[in-house]
Amino acid sequence: MEENNGRVLLEVRHLHKCFGKLTVLEDINTTFRKNEVVSIIGPSGGGKSTFLRCLNLLEVPTSGEIFFDGVDICAAKSDINLHRQKMGMVFQQFNLFNNMNVMKNMTAAPIRILGMDKEQAEAKAMELLERVDLADRYAAYPHQLSGGQKQRIAIVRALMMNPTVMLFDEPTSALDPEMIGEVLDVMKQLASDGMTMIVVTHEMRFAREVSSRTIFLESGHIEEDKPSHELFDSPESPRLRSFLDKVL
Amino acid sequence: MSLEKTILIINRYSSFFLDGIKSTLIIAAFSVLLGTVFGTLMATMRMSRIKPLKILATIYIEFVRGTPLMVQLTFMFYGLPMAGITFPDISFIPNFSRYTAGIVAMSMNSCAYVAEIIRSGIQAVDVGQMEAARSLGFRHSQAMSMVILPQAVRNILPALGNEFVTVIKESSIVSVIGIADLMFRTNDVIALTYRSLECLLVAAVIYFILTFTSGRLVALTERKLSYGRK
Ligand SMILES: Nc1ncnc2c1ncn2[C@@H]1O[C@H](COP(=O)(O)OP(=O)(O)OP(=O)(O)O)[C@@H](O)[C@H]1O
Ligand SMILES: [Mg+2]
Repeated sequence: MEENNGRVLLEVRHLHKCFGKLTVLEDINTTFRKNEVVSIIGPSGGGKSTFLRCLNLLEVPTSGEIFFDGVDICAAKSDINLHRQKMGMVFQQFNLFNNMNVMKNMTAAPIRILGMDKEQAEAKAMELLERVDLADRYAAYPHQLSGGQKQRIAIVRALMMNPTVMLFDEPTSALDPEMIGEVLDVMKQLASDGMTMIVVTHEMRFAREVSSRTIFLESGHIEEDKPSHELFDSPESPRLRSFLDKVL
Repeated sequence: MSLEKTILIINRYSSFFLDGIKSTLIIAAFSVLLGTVFGTLMATMRMSRIKPLKILATIYIEFVRGTPLMVQLTFMFYGLPMAGITFPDISFIPNFSRYTAGIVAMSMNSCAYVAEIIRSGIQAVDVGQMEAARSLGFRHSQAMSMVILPQAVRNILPALGNEFVTVIKESSIVSVIGIADLMFRTNDVIALTYRSLECLLVAAVIYFILTFTSGRLVALTERKLSYGRK
């Protein structure tokens, strides 16, 4: 696996997050480079989702700094809506807009936020839908789609904004086993196209084979953060070893 | 009781009943309309991040829902004037002050219930919808208007329809402050005919027709908003 030396896209410094008295993240430091695919693994409740949600400020960090393209997005005067446009996010529960069909789901943001015109947005949406084999479902409403279809659409909906980084929070955890493959395939495709991706996942094969780096997050700490093959083949900390014993 | 007598009463006193229906509908329509407008405002205050607004709205909603409409209504019409506050009379609209007191009391009451209907309708929308919208870069207000409210309306509308039906029924209470609504007119006819049973039956059927029809109309609108669902 080649060493990644793209430019730094996201830099997290001394990130802390508490919910009331509960400290969920404690002094997280890491960087994400352009074109990097990073998996975040760890036991349930360890703070993986919270960490990911801090990156686009769906959760507001208690303290610390997050630099995105060199700008501290936690700073009071930074325009978070602007940063979020460049960070796509895919949720475990898909979260397609239930009141819109597939086409509207995909075109609402580029039209309303980027000011793209309707024809252009729809042409782009069709192109992306074709890429995930769902061009024939453009008029369907979310409740008419299977979980795997919903998640593939959620991914391309995020891509409509041309994000510089994609955040995934357990994108396959809510799926029936037979649908996991189709979503992972889209993500692999995306990775090989050079998208920068940060993926919270329980899919250890994806972490090992697709991501260049894996972070093991446990009880709010980064226990290990290194190239995936190294982390999986020679886990150092006893905690990581016992975690891997359980899941592999 | 006889069917003949009932038909006779309907024929002879139809103008009384029609008059009453008109007043009942006017009161109910204004109350629901104003109740919805102010209820929306009240719900916005109740969900606001500005503490004093939130507290004020919460107190209002709890208080109104925790006291009888009869007390609220008589307070408006008999209580307030003793404090020097009266609803003005306008010469060309008969009984303007009575109607105003009735509509104000009914809509202030409805407002509290509508506020809760709207709040719970909005809160019933999955939080993931807002998060997805925000993650794409929509502002909070944009997410609200494009994603949350259209879905909340589906929860709100049926309950609002029920509220309209409730208001039609409860509006019969305004007869106690002398508004000539359907209930008041029915009592007129009873006084003239001494036929309580037949007259009340006619009134009940009319109320039922009014509420049933509005219920159907709401159901129709609901179907239009079903986003492809059966
Ligand atoms: N909004 C919140 N308010 C209070 N506590 C929260 C909130 N969100 C998360 N937590 C707590 O923070 C801790 C970390 O949660 P988080 O969802 O980040 O874990 P996770 O690693 O994603 O777990 P999982 O694998 O189950 O998704 C948990 O103890 C959780 O209960
Ligand atoms: Mg999680």
